[in-house]
Amino acid sequence: MSKRILVIEDTENNRRILNDLLTNAGFEVIEAVDGEKGVAMAAEQRPDLILMDIQLPIVDGYEATRRIKANPDLRHIPIIAVTSYALSGDDAKAFAAGCDGYFAKPFSPRVILAKVREFLT
Amino acid sequence: MNGILGFAELLVDGLYGTLPAKALEVLERIQKDGKHLLGLINDVLDISKIEAGQLTLALDNYSMQGIVETVVASTGSLARAKGIEVKATVSPDLPVGYGDERRLTQVLLNIVGNAIKFTDTGSVEIRANARDGHFTIAVQDTGPGIPTEDQARIFEEFQQVDNSITRQKGGTGLGLSIARRLINVHGGHIDLESTPGVGSTFNIVLPLRATDQRQAA
Repeated sequence: MSKRILVIEDTENNRRILNDLLTNAGFEVIEAVDGEKGVAMAAEQRPDLILMDIQLPIVDGYEATRRIKANPDLRHIPIIAVTSYALSGDDAKAFAAGCDGYFAKPFSPRVILAKVREFLT
Repeated sequence: MNGILGFAELLVDGLYGTLPAKALEVLERIQKDGKHLLGLINDVLDISKIEAGQLTLALDNYSMQGIVETVVASTGSLARAKGIEVKATVSPDLPVGYGDERRLTQVLLNIVGNAIKFTDTGSVEIRANARDGHFTIAVQDTGPGIPTEDQARIFEEFQQVDNSITRQKGGTGLGLSIARRLINVHGGHIDLESTPGVGSTFNIVLPLRATDQRQAA
């Protein structure tokens, strides 16, 4: 059975890139467009991995990560943060919130796929 | 930018079907220009942040030898493509530094990258030493050199010795200005000795332990 990846991302182009990339690589992709929906979907669908944008509406990626990692049923799911323009300290904040990996945008799809495979094999 | 570069990479990788060779060649041009634009955006954002006093240094212990090794490794393919040798002489037992490793790497990468870009034959040499509470880093090339009258302004924004250089050699015209400011925020300074026809040497003097000098930048 193919592994399921939850993409939490509000920008349509970025969702499309990640969806095309990961679907083509044989993963099942589900999507959420804000942090609140993302946390709910993580609980309902139990993905194997989450790609988390940080600048999200309603609940940002740091808070969404904290909520998921606070849930004993979900905290084992690896979360890879994806942030806009590498501001100093973003990576530290992402890891402090509980993220297991970190990328700055613009990301290379090849590099993201390699990282995802690292977590899922 | 993420959309432009991301979709371009997926297209090159054949995710949307096999493309004719001609289309692939054009796509590579889009990628090259996209990356140049990204460099320009990042540089302008850096300058704006420094000018607004918003650039916060992530101060921590670092190894100067580690920074030099990273820079030599990252510039290796560019140097090999040009047939230039990059030599690094790092004094043994350099003390541990305290500063923003990522920003200091960015500075050295810029200066060594420039040296390689402008040197067509010969070598680029990096020398790292420590004395009187400071690191002294010299980057010496055997490039065309910089005329005396241009030596001061190359550290200013959008100033390259010859504007046609931007088109020939790439770059945004902001790299050295950012490098100087980043060294200044660390409490250090950077200067240049150059003899046209012989080469250039950029000298960085950097406190072993930096304190955030944002107001001085």
